[in-house]
Amino acid sequence: MWQFVTDRWLDIAYRSYQHVSLVVQSVALATVIAIALALLVTSYRRLEPVANFVSSVGLTIPSLALLGIMLPVVGIGTIPAVVVVTFYASLPILRNAVVGLQGVDRNLVESARGMGMNGWTTFRRVRLPLAWPVILAGLRVSTQMSMGVAAIAAYALGPGLGSYIFTGLTQIGGVNAVNYALVATIAIIILALLLDALLLVLGRVTTSEGIRVS
Amino acid sequence: MSTETTTARSERRSRLSREDLGLLLGLPILCAVVLGAWAIWRATADLDDIESRALAWGNILTLAGEHLLLTVVGALVVVATAVPIGIALTRPGMKRFATPVVGVANAGQAAPVIGVIVLFAMWLSFGFWTAILALSLYSFLPVLRNTIVRLQSVDPTLVEAARGTGMSNATVLRRVELPLAMPVIMTGVRTALVLLVGTAAFGTFISAGGLGALIVVGITLFRSPILISGGLLMAVLALLVDWAGRVLEFLATPKGM
Repeated sequence: MWQFVTDRWLDIAYRSYQHVSLVVQSVALATVIAIALALLVTSYRRLEPVANFVSSVGLTIPSLALLGIMLPVVGIGTIPAVVVVTFYASLPILRNAVVGLQGVDRNLVESARGMGMNGWTTFRRVRLPLAWPVILAGLRVSTQMSMGVAAIAAYALGPGLGSYIFTGLTQIGGVNAVNYALVATIAIIILALLLDALLLVLGRVTTSEGIRVS
Repeated sequence: MSTETTTARSERRSRLSREDLGLLLGLPILCAVVLGAWAIWRATADLDDIESRALAWGNILTLAGEHLLLTVVGALVVVATAVPIGIALTRPGMKRFATPVVGVANAGQAAPVIGVIVLFAMWLSFGFWTAILALSLYSFLPVLRNTIVRLQSVDPTLVEAARGTGMSNATVLRRVELPLAMPVIMTGVRTALVLLVGTAAFGTFISAGGLGALIVVGITLFRSPILISGGLLMAVLALLVDWAGRVLEFLATPKGM
């Protein structure tokens, strides 16, 4: 296996980069979408059960099923990978963002408005910072999940390490089959844990000082 | 003041149950609508030879049956192992192992399920039982973590009160902790079912059957009708399994809660 890794070092590094880049960009997109939807939900309370229904149902749908449905619509390659990863990543963030934004004390929002802040400034300076730790927890769940979903999207020729797993599967019995699958699986685990640690640090840095725990 | 908190609490409870009620009633309706629409499309669509063979009712029912079998057997294995181990890890003598196990369970989530299945198939062999082993191993950690965390959250004063009335450790577990943790365990069952029905889709990669076969055929031949049908049927099956889990969860919650 060591020989395998040293021989293909550059390719493995490039695929790892692709994998992480797909996940990071999709999760970033998902965060924006989820926070926007959560804002909508918190301003129209009647939408809350709808949002919860959507996120329960969405998380239940198998990723291979969604991939299958998306392929005729968007074709194969990178786009279905982005769509599928973003879809699953947005659901835990949406749920947490709704909880987080609702947990913001109404009096604080009102006093911010009383100080003359408009809706956007109130959101940016009061509501988002206060809800951020909860949103970030959702973001971490999403990132872990997305690393696995991105591997599956490789079945439709998506980018990243997943293609190594499928190469291993098709070459089964061959010399390098196990190496392909094993290297990709281990690399995904390591990268997922690294990303998680990075998010933890990011959380420490971006959490507003007033609500930082220790 | 006290009436205020009671109304607040009952309000919260009614809202919660309304959400659960929405899922309990909404899921079967949603599934029926999707399945009905698909059946109408299937009956009227102009399919070529390959497509109609892949989407023949007999073939679909066989695949769905295999998928369900993978899910149910896997869930049974997961629940039969994760729940007792979770209970054992929260007993006084074993408590110190609980935190590291939860940590490992969290880290284990990072493993991509498709990699786990393929590696197991290479190590053992292709087929049903290898899929069961890989899939249950994958769902084992979340269910174990769920059981440990929720048993730990049982109010310690209740346990102490029960001890004070002269119950033994085993009786406290049976009469107080387990009933209080019952909803949790059923959530574990549902989590296991949902995880398995989703991951059973990959069973087809290691010849263990399941509806994932339609996606594989659909991608290989690039036939949109097969892809969309496979996706929709798999989604409906997953939602029905989730619904069955919710019904179980609802029925198993003790009346006092």
